[in-house]
Amino acid sequence: MAPIIVLNNLFWQYEGQEDFALREICLKIEESSFTSIIGPNEAGKTTLVSCIRGLIPRSYHGILRGSIEVLGKNIADKTELELAKEIGFVFADPEAQFTAMTVLEELAFGMENIGFSLNEIKERLEWVTEMTNIQDLLDKSPFEISGGQKQRITIASMLALKPKIFILDEPTSMLDPLGKDQIINILTTLKEQEAMTLIVVEHNIEQIAPLSDQIVLMADGKVLKSDSPQDFFCDIEPLERLGIAVPHITSFASNLLDLGLYEPPLPLTIEQAIGPCRLILEQRGRE
Amino acid sequence: MEKFHSESIGATNVENLQFNVPIRRMRRTLLGTVPVESPLYSFHPVTRFFSLILLGVAPLFIDTPELNVLWIMLILLLMIYGRVDMSRLKIYVPLIFTVALFMFSIAILLPGEDPTYIPFKFMGITIYYQRIFWALVSYVRVMALLFGSIQYFLTNRETDMLVSLQTLKVPFPVTYFVGLSIRGADMFMQDMKTIREAERARGLDEGSLAFKDRAKLYAMYMIPLFTLAIRRADEIGNALFVRGYTFAGEVLGGGKRTSTVMNLYQFKVRDTFLCALQVGLFVTMAILQLKFSQFRIDHSPLNAYFLSILT
Repeated sequence: MAPIIVLNNLFWQYEGQEDFALREICLKIEESSFTSIIGPNEAGKTTLVSCIRGLIPRSYHGILRGSIEVLGKNIADKTELELAKEIGFVFADPEAQFTAMTVLEELAFGMENIGFSLNEIKERLEWVTEMTNIQDLLDKSPFEISGGQKQRITIASMLALKPKIFILDEPTSMLDPLGKDQIINILTTLKEQEAMTLIVVEHNIEQIAPLSDQIVLMADGKVLKSDSPQDFFCDIEPLERLGIAVPHITSFASNLLDLGLYEPPLPLTIEQAIGPCRLILEQRGRE
Repeated sequence: MEKFHSESIGATNVENLQFNVPIRRMRRTLLGTVPVESPLYSFHPVTRFFSLILLGVAPLFIDTPELNVLWIMLILLLMIYGRVDMSRLKIYVPLIFTVALFMFSIAILLPGEDPTYIPFKFMGITIYYQRIFWALVSYVRVMALLFGSIQYFLTNRETDMLVSLQTLKVPFPVTYFVGLSIRGADMFMQDMKTIREAERARGLDEGSLAFKDRAKLYAMYMIPLFTLAIRRADEIGNALFVRGYTFAGEVLGGGKRTSTVMNLYQFKVRDTFLCALQVGLFVTMAILQLKFSQFRIDHSPLNAYFLSILT
């Protein structure tokens, strides 16, 4: 598939900072793929997605080198409204993104800015409220509801624009386990049903890895590794050195692999591990 | 799934929009909560906004305190009609007393000099009648203005205010700025509450502090509060950017901006009638006072009664 996002030798330095926050970033993201961006704190993950969204350099001052192409066009040549229509962006703190006093207004706000008709807004509202299960919240203030509901609303407000690229920056970082599961369920549905290009910055690798087509590892402002999940976790030692929590089942299979008891590729889910493990047990039984 | 009852939002065409919103019993307003079935919500937000102009501004034209007392009673009746929980008004009692204390203290302690003033003794203090009566006039007027505003903000939400302004063709960026300001004030208060709770959790007992120390404490709040406000402004700026908001309110392709929430409300014939009535009443009161001085103090029976005793 053709790349929808191409970052070529990208450097970014925030004004007043001594070091570059991003260095030598070369990355291609394919259309309709699910890309997870992981890495330790201060790795440059949020800065990277802010560049893709066009928040950098529009909303921040600093030095930008290299190029960012989205949908075949340099991001600097796109208008704010074009960017809003093409790229959705959800921040980590849901409360910091509310722009209206009722959920209904919050969901409609972006669509009104883009210039959708009332009928189109109505149709999209029905679709998005069902998708994110927030039908009961439309008349409420977004400040009165739970953290999980708040994040679902911010996701819905972006999804309503049906962007070609949807970026979520640590969408589960401020949520309880139930809230995290609900967001992961929405991401699963989006991957299965929509042809969106999804980019998710996330620490919760256990749940996000099985959904991913590509995992990007960042540290110190650089992309250290970018691979499919199976290839990404073939060697988990460098990841663990960086403090990256590898999925438990992958870690378990990696230990078996070291003992010569498991054959690659390493599993990302328990379901993927059941078959090979059964085979091992059968072989051991025969021996 | 239950449909939102049209009366509950004061908009008969909500069902046409087919949003699957359940019935809620209470609605949070700018100053409290009001039952969703409040009859006030059957009126368009513009009608309610004109009531703010009439009830909250017209007392400025009235010097006769009796009329302003009647005005306050009218406002209270409107609150009862709107099913406002009247016990909530208790929180305004300290304000009512503070304003009274302030205004009457100034009239007694700093009366000024005028040979026409009529003095009388009360508990050994010389009080000048004109000053004290004017303090009463001003106080009742302020109370009328206060209750007029409380009535509106206790029964309306920020959305209602924005819809009314947009209906009155106020440009979207202006109405949006008003909305953000209201929201900003609310968040500022929430942040302050959070900081105070955090201090209490660390063992601070405000009650044990002297007035001077308490004043210092409040001054110290300003630093984190302003830092938070600046950070929030930055975050909201980014949120607006990703939602495609432009300062001029322009839309992609240069078309006209749709307002979803405006379409939830219908401007009915009775709204037209009530708006005209309220504007008419306001203008009439303004003319009666400004041109014919019909609401001046001289027309107050209470003033006439006191003067007859003192002179």
